[in-house]
Amino acid sequence: MAIVNLFYISLLLLLLLPLFLLFLLSIIIRPRPVQIPIKKRHVFITGGSSGIGLALAHQAASEGARISILSRSIDKLEEAKNAIRLSTGIDVAIFAADVRDFEAVQRAVDEAGPIDVLIVNQGVFVAQELEEQKLDEVRFIIDVNLMGSFNMIKATLPGMKRSRKDRGPGSISLMSSQAGQVGIYGYTAYSASKFGLRGLAEALQQEVIGDNIHVSLVFPPDTKTPGLVEENKRKPQLTSIIAASSSAMTADEVAKKALDGIKSGSFIIPCNSEGILLSMATAGLSPQRSYLMAFVEVVAAGILRFAALCFQWNLYRSIEKSRMQKN
Amino acid sequence: MAVVNLFYISLLLPPLFLLFLLFLIIRPRPVQIPIKKRHVFITGGSSGIGLALAHQAASEGAHVSILSRSIDKLEEAKNAIKLSAGIDVAIFAADVRDFEAVQRAVDEAGPIDVLIVNQGVFVAQELEEQKLDEVRFIIDVNLMGSFNMIKAALPGMKRSRKDRGPGSIALMSSQAGQVGIYGYTAYSASKFGLRGLAEALQQEVIGDNIHVSLVFPPDTETPGLVEENKRKPQLTSIIAASSGAMKADQVAKKALDGIKSGSFIIPCNFEGILLSIATAGLSPQRSYLMAFVEVVAAGILRIAGLCFQWNWYGSIEKWHVQKN
Repeated sequence: MAIVNLFYISLLLLLLLPLFLLFLLSIIIRPRPVQIPIKKRHVFITGGSSGIGLALAHQAASEGARISILSRSIDKLEEAKNAIRLSTGIDVAIFAADVRDFEAVQRAVDEAGPIDVLIVNQGVFVAQELEEQKLDEVRFIIDVNLMGSFNMIKATLPGMKRSRKDRGPGSISLMSSQAGQVGIYGYTAYSASKFGLRGLAEALQQEVIGDNIHVSLVFPPDTKTPGLVEENKRKPQLTSIIAASSSAMTADEVAKKALDGIKSGSFIIPCNSEGILLSMATAGLSPQRSYLMAFVEVVAAGILRFAALCFQWNLYRSIEKSRMQKN
Repeated sequence: MAVVNLFYISLLLPPLFLLFLLFLIIRPRPVQIPIKKRHVFITGGSSGIGLALAHQAASEGAHVSILSRSIDKLEEAKNAIKLSAGIDVAIFAADVRDFEAVQRAVDEAGPIDVLIVNQGVFVAQELEEQKLDEVRFIIDVNLMGSFNMIKAALPGMKRSRKDRGPGSIALMSSQAGQVGIYGYTAYSASKFGLRGLAEALQQEVIGDNIHVSLVFPPDTETPGLVEENKRKPQLTSIIAASSGAMKADQVAKKALDGIKSGSFIIPCNFEGILLSIATAGLSPQRSYLMAFVEVVAAGILRIAGLCFQWNWYGSIEKWHVQKN
């Protein structure tokens, strides 16, 4: 009889524990959740003339946002502007600048006016073994992807902070990559630059939360863009094999996930189901603004670390197999 | 009675099974990397953690080369090591941002067995205040400088593996390279970057018997820290105090122990161990025991991580309120 009572008590505990955890998490998660509207607000997108950036511009425009796009080539910008006008009837403002040039970026930001949602999306990527890759290319990738993001944020931040009082919550989101959550063969430079964005974002969120500005990181898989076409011409075979663990997406699909995540103020924004698992496995010390997601992260953490180790097992076996085939 | 015994056995079986499974699947396989009588090349080796590493590696019988910018500091370091360990270290003056100079030093030093990329600069300041030149400096030295160093050393390291045993490339990161901290946008960016580099690099060089490590010290009592503290924002100190400071010698010991056991992630203090488990992510784990701890503790440590956020953002809010 006592054993049966013990059984029922432990069953009760088993049910109460998760509920207690959920309750605890709803109290402790910081920063608090926030909604970030984009309709009738100023969205500024770098790398906005093609790929994911262009898709973001299309979608944000059709949702009623006022759009500015920045990119290096005035021709591509004009093309993008026309395409958006054709499909949505909306005019976007265009700014030609290289994100590596701070002065040019500052001029564009000043001309564009107060920004509510900054999407730092420019990115270059070339996959190659570090032993083969030219250092100039490594420098290029880090300059554009990482230093360029610093330039962009540094130029935007003062104006963004000043204008928060009457303009509601602000958002700075950075386009990372699944290669910014796990390093992959051939991506020493690219992964370095994208991992760097996370260090920047985690620190930046602590610095700007007091000004009602909210930081997001978007983690797409391989996305069908002109950039990917270029990259595939030179990509090492092993890189393709490993990257295929996560299904590719179209730019429109990624843009939709990105905008949804930005609007709900999420710090980490995955784009596909493999991405959700990857994001939970690499949650680390990132803030989580949804107590439901926090609950899932806590509960799934152990299983996902195990899954990650299985992934490594498969990964290193593929590398070994590929090496044996070569010899 | 039999029911109770069966109950206890069935409780023990799953963990034991997990341990066994992990023992089978962990990759890359564990490895030992000796340093005695092998060539250890240390950048940023004339002061701080680098100098402590040089002292300890030399007293363990390694053949040590140190690289740094200032020939004066290098001479000082060389003398200090000769005084304390009786051993001569080779010295090379170069700026890691200058690839040609680094290549010349590496060629002159000869085949390297253990490369410790330890140079680092750090200035804490809010991004809104910090000069972009300083951001560029931090990323150039800490991240691009590491690329230069590895690019220069890699060909020689690969060629010489056949008769020289396992090679090691260790990168000096920081706990600020595991979690971003107020005031450290540039520094955390550069140190997080090292992890992306390391995870990818390990996959590229495992076939050549070269093993990559990342060392994650907390605040360490070095000349660099003294400089940094002159300007550090108050909030940065408050948050960074969550982890106790260490001495350069203590960090060097943890680093060398980790390098010798071929660990990918090398924490330096107890808070660091917890932080490393919490941020294990998709990093490889070469010890099945550590892997077991990571799997079992992952959930609790995510809760702990969220508690830290609660604490830190609370401090940030309080500080803002006091300012106004």
